[in-house]
Amino acid sequence: MKYILRQSALTLLSFAFLYVLLAGASFLVFPDPSSAGPRDFQAAERTLYMTVPKYVFLGRSVLADPDRKIILVGASNTGVGFRQKLVQSKLGCANVSNLAMGGANISEVKQVINLVHEVQTDRERQQNTFVIGIWFGMFVDSDVHFSDGDRHRGETDVDIERYRYGFYRRTPDGPVAVLPPQWLDAGVMAIRPFLLIEKVAREARAGVNLLLTGRVSAQRTDDERESVVMSDADKQKALAYWKESMGRTNDISPAQVDVLKQTIQALLSSGENVVLVDLPIPAWHRDASPYEPSYRLALKDLLREFGDQPNFLSPNMADLDNDVDYSDEVHAKRHLADVWSIRLANTLDSFVCRQKPDNAPRVTTLRSSELMTNEPQRVSTVAGN
Amino acid sequence: MSLTSPLFFAFLAAVVIAFHISESVPYRRFVLGAANAIFMASYLSDVTQVLPLLAFLGLGYASIYALYRRQSPLVLTAGVVAILCCYVFLKRFSFFEGLGQLPFPYLTIGLSYILFRILHMMVDVRSGDLTERIGPLAFFRFTCNFLCFVSGPIQRYQDFSAMDGKAAVQIDASVVYAAFSRIATGYVKFVIIAATADYAFTFVSPHLLQPSGYSFLKLCAVYATVASLYTVYLYFNFSGYMDIVIGIGTLLGQTLPENFDRPFSARSFLEFWQRWHMTLSQWFKFYLFNPLLMVLMTWLPTPALTSYLGVLAFFITFGVMGIWHGTTAVFVIYGLLMGAGASINKLWQVACTERLGKKRYRALTESAAYIYSARGLTVAYFVLALTCLWVPELPQFTALLARLGIAGVATTFVVVAVAFGIAALILDVVQARLRILDLSGIKGGVITRNLHLAGKMMAIVAVATLLHKAPDFVYKAF
Repeated sequence: MKYILRQSALTLLSFAFLYVLLAGASFLVFPDPSSAGPRDFQAAERTLYMTVPKYVFLGRSVLADPDRKIILVGASNTGVGFRQKLVQSKLGCANVSNLAMGGANISEVKQVINLVHEVQTDRERQQNTFVIGIWFGMFVDSDVHFSDGDRHRGETDVDIERYRYGFYRRTPDGPVAVLPPQWLDAGVMAIRPFLLIEKVAREARAGVNLLLTGRVSAQRTDDERESVVMSDADKQKALAYWKESMGRTNDISPAQVDVLKQTIQALLSSGENVVLVDLPIPAWHRDASPYEPSYRLALKDLLREFGDQPNFLSPNMADLDNDVDYSDEVHAKRHLADVWSIRLANTLDSFVCRQKPDNAPRVTTLRSSELMTNEPQRVSTVAGN
Repeated sequence: MSLTSPLFFAFLAAVVIAFHISESVPYRRFVLGAANAIFMASYLSDVTQVLPLLAFLGLGYASIYALYRRQSPLVLTAGVVAILCCYVFLKRFSFFEGLGQLPFPYLTIGLSYILFRILHMMVDVRSGDLTERIGPLAFFRFTCNFLCFVSGPIQRYQDFSAMDGKAAVQIDASVVYAAFSRIATGYVKFVIIAATADYAFTFVSPHLLQPSGYSFLKLCAVYATVASLYTVYLYFNFSGYMDIVIGIGTLLGQTLPENFDRPFSARSFLEFWQRWHMTLSQWFKFYLFNPLLMVLMTWLPTPALTSYLGVLAFFITFGVMGIWHGTTAVFVIYGLLMGAGASINKLWQVACTERLGKKRYRALTESAAYIYSARGLTVAYFVLALTCLWVPELPQFTALLARLGIAGVATTFVVVAVAFGIAALILDVVQARLRILDLSGIKGGVITRNLHLAGKMMAIVAVATLLHKAPDFVYKAF
């Protein structure tokens, strides 16, 4: 017995030594950024967190502050189309964070919103304006959309991050938190050595890719995307891909429409602002897709239901559908993304920043501008409440 | 209880501590018995799920008890038939669907290995090799030993009994370190190598199984890659599991039998099976091949036929062993492939010996060209035969074969054989050079070797989180 205990102690000590060594190295290589304020979650690759889902899940505690916040959620076209830095530069009244995730469906958008809520107090939630970017490709049921071999069927990227480090455990009724949300930052500290190892592994893989293919990853750069012109064959391929991916022949998932409806309803009821952006796609895709009519119908219903609510807005961007401005069937090229971003910023400026003081949420510190307010902080309600 | 879950590590720590609290044999037997029961219970969500397994164990014990009372061939035959029928019914073989099935879900994990243990006890009691009276609790500890419950190794009762509750292994610092190191190596194999291969396999295999516009050569290359990845996954998954349970066994004073001995260094298919899943091969040798060959030689006692009877016995034995691996029709094909591989190998040996004579044949088998060609051919045959395990449904299997055609299968076979033969040659040369350098001194110190161990653990946790989907032991399904 004594030999087993001695060996256990030696092993644990050695493990602790390596752990501390790696944790120290992780702080040296990737110092912890400020604990509050806006962050460009789309730049996850340059951080210790590596991927957007991981960055959002582990780094979301920055959204737990009393400032006015604009939080963008959606799929990759929201991530690519709305440039956080550009939108932020046009908005002095709020901190802008883009939490859009590649491949997200509506259920995953709801999960992201829930993740944000988990780390916020009721008071902090009052300061949220959620910008939800949607298009028909996001209305796919999770069981269909998230079915690749390396995950449990129906589990989103957010779910994967929840389980990955044991912060949540899998149950028949869904994920259950093991680590209370208020302990999130401590949990992230604890896993830093493993994040560093993962980071090194990913960098090594990128190095191998560079060696073998001359590129770091298969993803196109902004410059490459800017010069792309889709051929007819590419378009047919894209249509076939979406037909296969949607899991339905000619309409979007009604269940996902319901999820969106419930999500918006819940946000509005709790006093948060919602900006629902019907994201434009190239005209050829919109006109050729069998899913567009049912999507239009669902959107019309949503606008009828929420359109007259004062803390709800749905800007029109339908005119930005020129085929050549898109690098593929969904994603805006950089120059169009700039237009999207400025238009969104203008909309938000009038919707959020120019709300009457009595109705608008108060901002205590504006990191992105020189503005400061010394007005006493109070729980504010959104316009009309 | 998954062997990678935190619950298992807590369970393990509790069992090891409880086992070493006292040296009393009855106490330690109690601890091991309780550990088995808890381990089995971890797979259950309802108590009814264990009832069929308990009935199976009860039938096995009753058969053995009957054989103690009367060691007649009739009792043995009746017992074996009853046990096999019960096994086939509970395993839900697709080709026995007409038998019906129980109307509720139940535990089938471990059933195959329990079957082997029960049959071995019955045969040995009948032959007189096992004279020791086995009590019901000892029977439970042997058949349901939590270390061997999921995927073996298949122990003989005589070996188990010699260390049941006794400290057969003398524990000291170096033994304990070796056990820890073996467990960590097992997890490295299982969590890092096998899981990575599985990850790659999961991504590449759909391209092969779905219609695509691949050229002939690309199709063969993808097939060779997928089949090789599966083999890497299977080997490291299973041998990693063995390292883990053998290491844990050492901490519990047990010496479990080895199941792998560098199988990819085998120079023939028959040798391969002496190195791969060794306890299963030995079981089939003792309890099927030897009796079968004896019967065949009794029926056809002509000395000139003896070698060919061996070929037939190999075909049947390996055929049955292959079919045992699954419950669908594809596993019959797997059995036939295994049987064909073994019997062709035996025929080759017989033909070469007759043509060249023993001395020249032996000289031939020692030449480098022969060795690496034989190793390549052996592995290629096994790698392609394993397709039955990852395409277990007949329509998919035949569709794949139709796409590849004979030319595709033959080309892939040659590609894998040549690639493995060359890789084995390079690896052997590198290993020989490293041996000359003698790196043994580097691992010697207490600090160095414990840091090495901790490094393995760190890598295991990092890769487990990176790949995020917890791997499972593949042989659990067999």
